[in-house]
Amino acid sequence: MMMKKIQLPFTQTQKVRYERAIERLQSLSSTVNSDASVIVTDTIPVNHEDAFLKGHGTSEVDGELLATVCGVVERVDKLVYVRTLRARYKPEVGDIVVGRVIEVAQKRWRVELNFTQDGVLMLSSMNMPDGSQRRRTSVDELNMRNIFVEHDVVCAEVRSIQHDGSLQLHARSQKYGKLEKGQLLKVDPYLVKRSKHHFHYIESLGIDLIIGCNGFIWVGEHVEVRDPVMMIDDQKDAEMISSSSTTKEQSHTPLETRQNICRIGNAIRVLSNLGFTVTVEVITETLNLSISKNIDIHNMLGSEFHVVVAENEAERRREKRKK
Amino acid sequence: MVGVSFGEQQFIKGGIAQDLRTDGRKRLTYRDIYVETGVIPQANGSARVRIGGTDVIASVKAEIGRPSSLQPDKGKVAVFIDCSPTAEPTFGGRGGEELSSELALALQICLLGGKSGAGAGINLSSLLIKEGRVCWDLYIDGLVISSDGNLLDALGAAIKAALTNTAIPKVQVSAEVADDEQPEIDISDEEYQQFDTSSVPVIVTLTKVGNHYIVDATAEEESQMSSAVSISVNRGGHICGLTKRGGCGLDPSVILDMISVAKHVSETLMNNLDSKISAAEACEDDES
Repeated sequence: MMMKKIQLPFTQTQKVRYERAIERLQSLSSTVNSDASVIVTDTIPVNHEDAFLKGHGTSEVDGELLATVCGVVERVDKLVYVRTLRARYKPEVGDIVVGRVIEVAQKRWRVELNFTQDGVLMLSSMNMPDGSQRRRTSVDELNMRNIFVEHDVVCAEVRSIQHDGSLQLHARSQKYGKLEKGQLLKVDPYLVKRSKHHFHYIESLGIDLIIGCNGFIWVGEHVEVRDPVMMIDDQKDAEMISSSSTTKEQSHTPLETRQNICRIGNAIRVLSNLGFTVTVEVITETLNLSISKNIDIHNMLGSEFHVVVAENEAERRREKRKK
Repeated sequence: MVGVSFGEQQFIKGGIAQDLRTDGRKRLTYRDIYVETGVIPQANGSARVRIGGTDVIASVKAEIGRPSSLQPDKGKVAVFIDCSPTAEPTFGGRGGEELSSELALALQICLLGGKSGAGAGINLSSLLIKEGRVCWDLYIDGLVISSDGNLLDALGAAIKAALTNTAIPKVQVSAEVADDEQPEIDISDEEYQQFDTSSVPVIVTLTKVGNHYIVDATAEEESQMSSAVSISVNRGGHICGLTKRGGCGLDPSVILDMISVAKHVSETLMNNLDSKISAAEACEDDES
């Protein structure tokens, strides 16, 4: 298990506690495939009589198949490749991703996804604001900016992967779309495992949590998924209000929700620093830990809380193992 | 610098108005500051300061030089800042020059005072070896490795730490010569004198977002600022320098208010920084 080197200064006792927690975690991690993990220049055991395909991360030198990256050897039929442990986001069709719009282009938006290439969200893959299903006209194209502008945070699903590797996104359901009233956090993509649910509504706190498979996590105030037909009337009302008064002060987030958003944000930052997988359970547990220990929201980013979270995680996995 | 959407901007501004920023800090709370000294062994003094995501290194090199004819009883100090492209891709090539020169000028004003040398944070007379002939030239270099807002404060802290770490060799003037010639000097290899940094000021930058000021803004918060005032305050509570940046104008009463807030914040910052610097120096002594 790879542990990132943390840049926080630990006191002597904190260092000892932290290292002990990490040792426990490493001993708990499954060592089933320890023989399959390789480092650079390790020979991959392969039967040379069978025809096999050399995949990513391998190279043939002097008749031997060597690994060129550190990772785990995977075999799929005749393909032998090395899957790296820390890699860029590897998209799959159906992934829920959170991204930022970087360009409004002809009939499409380009979205930054923490990937090697930008994602493309076509205008036709987006629901119309009035909810109608119709062919997109040139007027729709000219009004694209009313839907998404540059720097907007959007949530979408991967529709397909093109032959050149770029992603096609679509946002055809009500739960996808523009994200406001919150903050966007960036973690390493390999810390987010694919699961059934990526949209989480934490009722007790009134917070929406969207864990994108690409490592972008959105934490924000809960927004009710609204019927598109009702939205037109609301939009017209909103326009009238905003044209008469220039400030939108009335839409400030209440303080308690804001505190919860900040706490969850910091919990995610701590987990990312420690290199732990980011799931809703771990996040809520870290959150409850910080509340029960009465730690100030800001102090959650200090070295003491990092050590406490590492110890707690070791405990939690041990308990899970026992069961 | 990633842009922020309108919704996020509202969130940031609302947070500042409610005294709860995106990482849970209050308006006048600094992020954790980490100080390491002696990171560059070839320099006379060096330090690395990390404030959140901002990472800067400062180094001090002392060379023998000639004092200027206008101020023959003082040594010379020059400050140069370099914004590395590793901090921001836009800093590559000529991109970082504007920011570098702006930071260098602000630091020069804060540390060295006015043209006559009055009110300088660094005692330039202590750099003198022989009046009118030989003096120490201090070259202070700052390197920005990673930028997440509040560069000026971080550089000010790094320079303060680097100066505390600076050891200038003792110099003996070995022979008396005629007025026109340079005297011979003997630079000691063993004996060093530490630089007196008790009067070096700290820099506090107050960023105005909406109707409120925040201290130690992150890059996101700085993108929302209307203006920022950087005030350097020394241990005696005196203001050594003042710089304003940002497009919006400020009412004079606002500036006076910001100055009093900065003085208040600088006390805790100065104490915090001094204790961290001495801890870093002690740590370095243990290791070496």
